[in-house]
Amino acid sequence: MSDQTHANLLEIGAAVRTFRTPEGGIVAALDEVGLAVRANEFLTLLGPSGCGKTTLLRAIAGFEDLDRGDIRLDGVSLAGVPAYRRPFNTVFQSYALFPHLNVADNVGYGLDVKQLARHERDARVAAALTLVGLEGYGRRKPKQLSGGQQQRVALARALVNRPRLLLLDEPLSALDRNLRQAMQIELKNLQHEVGISFLVVTHDQEEALVMSDRIAVMNGGRIQQVGTPGEVYDTPANRFVAGFIGVSNVYAGTIDRRDGSLCIVRTDGGIELWARSAAFAAGARVDFMIRPEQIRVDVARTAAQAPGLEATVERLVFVGADLQVHARLADGSPVQALVRHRRTPVEGLAPGSAVRLEYDPEVVHLMAAQP
Amino acid sequence: MTTLAGSRRLRLAALLTPVTLLLGSCFLVPLGIMALYSFLTPGLYGGVEWNFYPYNYGRVLGAPLGDVEDFDPVYIEILLRSLRLAGTVVVLTLAVCYPAAFWVSRFHGERKSFVLFLVTLPFFASLIIRVYAWMLILRPTGFLNLVLESAGVIDAPLQIIFTEVSVVAGLVYILLPFMFLPIYASVEKLDPALVQASEDLGATPWQTFRRVVLPLTLPGVIGGSLIVFIPAFGNFVVPALLGGAKVMLVGNIIEQQFLAARNWPFGAALAMLILGTVLVLMLIYVLRIGRGGVAAGAKA
Repeated sequence: MSDQTHANLLEIGAAVRTFRTPEGGIVAALDEVGLAVRANEFLTLLGPSGCGKTTLLRAIAGFEDLDRGDIRLDGVSLAGVPAYRRPFNTVFQSYALFPHLNVADNVGYGLDVKQLARHERDARVAAALTLVGLEGYGRRKPKQLSGGQQQRVALARALVNRPRLLLLDEPLSALDRNLRQAMQIELKNLQHEVGISFLVVTHDQEEALVMSDRIAVMNGGRIQQVGTPGEVYDTPANRFVAGFIGVSNVYAGTIDRRDGSLCIVRTDGGIELWARSAAFAAGARVDFMIRPEQIRVDVARTAAQAPGLEATVERLVFVGADLQVHARLADGSPVQALVRHRRTPVEGLAPGSAVRLEYDPEVVHLMAAQP
Repeated sequence: MTTLAGSRRLRLAALLTPVTLLLGSCFLVPLGIMALYSFLTPGLYGGVEWNFYPYNYGRVLGAPLGDVEDFDPVYIEILLRSLRLAGTVVVLTLAVCYPAAFWVSRFHGERKSFVLFLVTLPFFASLIIRVYAWMLILRPTGFLNLVLESAGVIDAPLQIIFTEVSVVAGLVYILLPFMFLPIYASVEKLDPALVQASEDLGATPWQTFRRVVLPLTLPGVIGGSLIVFIPAFGNFVVPALLGGAKVMLVGNIIEQQFLAARNWPFGAALAMLILGTVLVLMLIYVLRIGRGGVAAGAKA
């Protein structure tokens, strides 16, 4: 995967797609979107609803035309190629299983329309059903299956055609929480097993982090950042990505001065923060970000070496493994920290108590402020 | 538990009583009387004599009673013609309504309601008046000939009225909404995602139609065909006004036997023959075409 330009399976170049709203306005669902899907990777399009991710998926599948830009498979443009001639298959959000066909005929549909020989068709259908753990379900009708089973049928129906790229539109959104978490791992394993690139659309950041090789974060019709789950979590490109993936504390400010590789940031509220970064010069406008789990809550308020902030606890939220500490800094801006839950309550940690929040300047992430 | 089941049974009985009374008194009893009359001797001056008499059927089917009545193949001819015309009407209404239903289903909101309102609009005017309007259009000095002549397409007026063409045109016009509404209901239920899924799996538009769209809309097609075929087969107003004496259908013969010839048993026998024919044809149709489709539609 070192030579990326040749490893790219699918390339989307400057894709633009606008829609007319009922009020007469024009909305860009895709605004100069560029993206490359590599061979044999699990790529997730992550973003809030209305960010354009589904439009992009539908454009790749061939259900949506682009106003401008192009989509290339192995370097060849797909413009004008109808959906039924594209070597991609889709797992629809509603699964879209054919209600009048049984499971085997649903899975065999793509092979039947290509008029594959009967014995090969049956063998491949059986193999696909085994792959998704549904052997023996061939004669059932979709209505007789649970949601999770229907989803597996939809997967088998797509994979049996050995597509170059599998497109999945919110594949897990209709499943309940436990099943969804199990399927996240299973989808990832399945992708590894079949060696087909998966392009998954989701609005669930946790799902994206668990499953993906890479995540493309979208908002407002634009790609905000493409990177590994670690990259988008630890070094988000901007305030939107920082806020959309995980919980973050972000403070707008200016680089006050530099001390070697240490930047001293003065927030707009007048608080001084430290960060290790070589990317910004003094005077630059930045967004300072730190994750709650990187903050230590010092109840005793012993003056330590690490930089710290005085804060007042507002409320404590118990979420099982962790205790969320919601507090306010001296200038009134909110801050969130995590304390690992222990069965004995932490002395002195209660709403109203003053605490010192410590952090390591190494793990702070500075982002260029957006205009 | 028993009281619950009991009250449920009571409620069911209360709900079913009106329909049972209505269908029983207005449908089953007259039908029974007709069936009975069809086996009685026609009275000399109308009415019936209470003797068993199978020759009402014999006249039509080829076993008349010696010199009293003749076997006349005209009745079978009329029966076959009625079948043929009704079949034609089904095919034509289907050809018009099936694409139209897809077209209308793409509309949204008020536009859709408006189009559906237009479909039902003809019901607001009397059937007779609407058929008379067709007479004005089709007659030799009528609107159609006027337009064709002034456009230079024809030199002399076409004799359209009092032909099978005018009868079929009239029946198609009258029965269009009955074909449209059931088809529209099944098209409206068709999930567009299924069509996309089919395309996505590599099916050409034609394959998608054959394998997904048609099977899933077949219940509407079957329903529409039935509700159009039956009245087209027995209709007597349209053939009477647009077919004249030349294009008689079974409905006209029956009407004549009851009102003009005052031969009630023979009219009843003809009516029973229609009923039997329709039932047999419907059974074949539903069993053959409907086997896969209805089952799928019921699940869809």
